[in-house]
Amino acid sequence: MTLALALLLALFEAPKPGTYELPPIAQVQERELVDASGAHVPFPGLAPGQVAVVAFIYRGCHEAQGCPASLALLRELDRRLAADPARAARVRLACVSFDPERDTPARMAELHDLMAPRSDWRFLVPDGAASLAQVLRDFGQDVVDLEGGAKRHVMKVYLVDADHRVRNIYASGFLDANLVFADIDTLSPPVK
Amino acid sequence: MTRTRDALRFVAVCCIAILAHAARADETCLSPFMPKITGQEDYVYVYTLGIEGLGDGNDKLVTLGANPKRPGYGKVVSQVSMPGRHEAHHGDFTDDRRFLWLGGLDTSEIFVFDVATNPGKPRLAKRISNFVAKSGGVVGPHTFYALPGRMLITGLSNAKDGGGKTGMVEYSNAGEFIRTIWMPEGAEYGYDARVNPDLNRMLTSSFTGKKNYMRPLGELMGDAEAMKHFGNTVVVWDFHARKPLQVLQVPGAPLEIRFALDARHYYAFTSSALTARLWGIFRKDDGTFEALDLAPIGDPAKPPLPVDISLSSDDKTLFVDSFVDCTVRVFDVSEPRKPVVIHEQKIGAQLNMVSQSWDGKRVYFSSSLLSNWDKGGADDEQFVKAFSWDGKTLEPLFAVDFKAEKLGRPHIMRFGQEGFWAGTSSPNVGE
Repeated sequence: MTLALALLLALFEAPKPGTYELPPIAQVQERELVDASGAHVPFPGLAPGQVAVVAFIYRGCHEAQGCPASLALLRELDRRLAADPARAARVRLACVSFDPERDTPARMAELHDLMAPRSDWRFLVPDGAASLAQVLRDFGQDVVDLEGGAKRHVMKVYLVDADHRVRNIYASGFLDANLVFADIDTLSPPVK
Repeated sequence: MTRTRDALRFVAVCCIAILAHAARADETCLSPFMPKITGQEDYVYVYTLGIEGLGDGNDKLVTLGANPKRPGYGKVVSQVSMPGRHEAHHGDFTDDRRFLWLGGLDTSEIFVFDVATNPGKPRLAKRISNFVAKSGGVVGPHTFYALPGRMLITGLSNAKDGGGKTGMVEYSNAGEFIRTIWMPEGAEYGYDARVNPDLNRMLTSSFTGKKNYMRPLGELMGDAEAMKHFGNTVVVWDFHARKPLQVLQVPGAPLEIRFALDARHYYAFTSSALTARLWGIFRKDDGTFEALDLAPIGDPAKPPLPVDISLSSDDKTLFVDSFVDCTVRVFDVSEPRKPVVIHEQKIGAQLNMVSQSWDGKRVYFSSSLLSNWDKGGADDEQFVKAFSWDGKTLEPLFAVDFKAEKLGRPHIMRFGQEGFWAGTSSPNVGE
């Protein structure tokens, strides 16, 4: 709803990039995850000047305000980045599954095909429970296993800078692509 | 073809996600970033000030049974003492509702309780003792307000002079200091903070500094100079940028702020303690806000000192507690610019906080305001009382006498539910 109202009714304008601060919230570690092709890759693994928008998801999520909402945000970011190559070079999008048991690389590849990314959007899964625990602890992402395979969690999307510091966290009620882009341009200003 | 069908299915799911939010309101006064208990609450967590010579004399987190279908209904089911008396006051959950942060207005100590592992028996997980130093001199952590992955804490005072100039402080959920945002010039006082994410706006209100709130109330009221040092402002902020946009004049210490919960309602309520008025903060068509004096609360000639308000999840009913006359007044605010009192009831000899369940059918009241402001003698009742509310009348459900139970002065109340987190513990706040 926030996304819809903000875009349709323009209830507010995103602040001008660079006019506000995004102090570090947490430091995350470089980890190795598995991508949709089955290859082990560094995560976040950013180049200098890059930022990442990271969403933890699982494909079995049926909570409307959960993973579908964060995927919708990343999809919108992806489409807008595709139309802005200069900005796209500074941004990586990443979905990380917190259900490595079911969300195999093959299943993440299906999600990749479904989303049909047009920018640097990666679909990743931890290599087992220990790897999952590490990355969840890094980000402070809560997850509880419920009966039937469901996973209770508070949906969050993280903005990570090139030094692997979490600089903002977006959640249900505040998923707004304009705000994310303002933050991206604050952390990684466009080259003039 | 398959991809097209999948894409359409995805879009449909996203539409459901977007619309579902509009159909839901928030638990009545909590952060919009936090999951809510929409059914029967099992527990009421009561942050309680210690009283010297009563029980162990320490501040406590007291857990009351609140579900009539479970053991311990209307009774103390657990309690945890925090060594010392810190002027226990307010607190709230993190955005994942796993931890309950509680602040002391005197010592500025912060206590973080794990309420996820065993909701009926909270466990002290962390103690933050360097809030003043870390924040650069903010004193009196008051409102705790969950932001995604963070806790926003409003201050009441400062370490330099104990006056009302103060700021807001952010911590990560892991308990690490992030930043301090000082209140703007001309609106230096602080109290509550509430966010409407749909508008990207935050409102903050204003009270008074430590020199005043730690002073006996009768003495303070007789000090004309001291009484000049209360806040008269509500500040409108760009929430995302944490930048002040407007300073609204709301004379007489506006305290609790409650944003309307319906996504189409662009307004909030607050009450001014010293002038006993109900105020509305309304968004105008140009996107700026205005503060409107809506109605008296009780008889302003005999100031009742309104202290807490609670808005129902349908935005139609506002409970307003007054300390001096110990009365709750229920306003019909379905026409927010024309509130009408539909019920008045004296709850006890003194009255402070009010919390209502998501469905509005149960309302809880607590008695204590501040250790040096509570009444004396027989009027120093200390209780939590639960009532049912049918839209017209409040009927008693249970009451716990916090003096008879040797607990102390009950203040803020928050709800817990068994199984809310399936009995697991969180990894990111350690001992």
